[in-house]
Amino acid sequence: MSTTPFVTDAALVAAVADKDAGALRELYERHGAWLHARLIRRCNDPEVVVEVVQDTFVALWKDARRFRHDGEVGAWLWGIAFRRMVSRLRSRKDVVLIPDWDVPAAPQQVLPSAEDLVLLGVEYGDLAAALRRLSPEFRSVVQAVVLDGLTTKEAGRLLGVRENTVKTRLHRAKAQLRTALTEPQEGWR
Amino acid sequence: MTTGTQGWHADPALLASYLAGDLDAVTGASVEQHVSRCEACRAAVGHLLEPQLVERTWAGIRDAIERPPLPVPIRLARRLGLPESTAVLLAAAASLRGAWLVGAFLSLSFATLAAYLSGGTALAPFLLVAPLAPVLGVATAYGPRQDPLEALVATAAYGRTRLILLRTIAVLVSVLPVTALLGLALPGPRWLAAAWLGPALALVPVLLALAGFVGPRAAATVVLLGWSSVVVASTRAGLDPAWPVEAAQQGAYLALAVAACAVIAVRLGIDRRRGVAL
Repeated sequence: MSTTPFVTDAALVAAVADKDAGALRELYERHGAWLHARLIRRCNDPEVVVEVVQDTFVALWKDARRFRHDGEVGAWLWGIAFRRMVSRLRSRKDVVLIPDWDVPAAPQQVLPSAEDLVLLGVEYGDLAAALRRLSPEFRSVVQAVVLDGLTTKEAGRLLGVRENTVKTRLHRAKAQLRTALTEPQEGWR
Repeated sequence: MTTGTQGWHADPALLASYLAGDLDAVTGASVEQHVSRCEACRAAVGHLLEPQLVERTWAGIRDAIERPPLPVPIRLARRLGLPESTAVLLAAAASLRGAWLVGAFLSLSFATLAAYLSGGTALAPFLLVAPLAPVLGVATAYGPRQDPLEALVATAAYGRTRLILLRTIAVLVSVLPVTALLGLALPGPRWLAAAWLGPALALVPVLLALAGFVGPRAAATVVLLGWSSVVVASTRAGLDPAWPVEAAQQGAYLALAVAACAVIAVRLGIDRRRGVAL
């Protein structure tokens, strides 16, 4: 955290609520790029991604007052962006909303360095291996609910299954992960 | 979860392969989760993304937030699913403005009140006004004098016929429901409440057909005088108050409407130049 900014994200959102375009620009500089990068992994149409990012910041401009100052701005923006993308793409079957887990990683010119792997391993324990062992239905549920932060209802709509099915699958997936890991990680309970 | 990641940052090469989509799902998700919580790595992603893309997206955001809010009728039309350009064209019509609609509503209300108070003997005011309200609305919805967009319409590659028909429909949609509701308050048989629709719907094509020859103003005057004379003459002659909308007369209106539509169709067929027929 060498570049600790002078103004926090939350303060910028408050400024946007007072119609400060400069604050919106600053928030865009901080969050536009990674939202872009994260959305493009879920949608193979770059135009749609650009529009969704635009919609998200226009929504931020209009609804900045709705931000409850109890969470992270980044997570809030991701929630807006991903929900917009899901609703926009509901009618389109040609785009991918869930990254395909079964495609083996492309031969990587740049492998994560050994140190990175160790550190990623520190964070997740054996989680990565456990996740890879999940069946595709379970993975998509984990992806939609745990990683992308949808509600079970929204995930059901996205995946085309009933909400109860999502809940059951999520429950089983978590149980499976828990047994796979000797120690359950925080945040997965 | 943050405790384990505080000292760690994804190196640029890892982020680059994340952006290129080269990471497998689990590693990608892991990087993603870290980036969404780590300020430094978010900034690093910003440096790796194409600057043009970042600026293009921002340009769209800026345009959207700097644009003044659209007027209420346009937003309403947008809600109903009309494209914005069509909504703007509609809202520019004089007879779709609030003042005109209020005026039409008031005159209709007074006519209804008169008919109501007279107990059915004086239907003339309502029968006079109800069919003319949509006709005058259509007449003022376009034409060189009334349309603030006329200069644009004349030069734009947008069919005048289409514009006129579009506005005609909009006027009918805005006026007819109110008139129908007021008609329910009329004394006398129930069918009277809907009977005025016959002349109202017949006079609109007549107006449009006439306007093709003499322009909307003159056409509106002709229709107005014609319909008034029918209503006034029937009252003078001591006929039943509902005479102008009885079955036989309705047949005549229908014939008139068909003839007017035929005239419009024939003129459209003869000369396909835009808007000549209307």
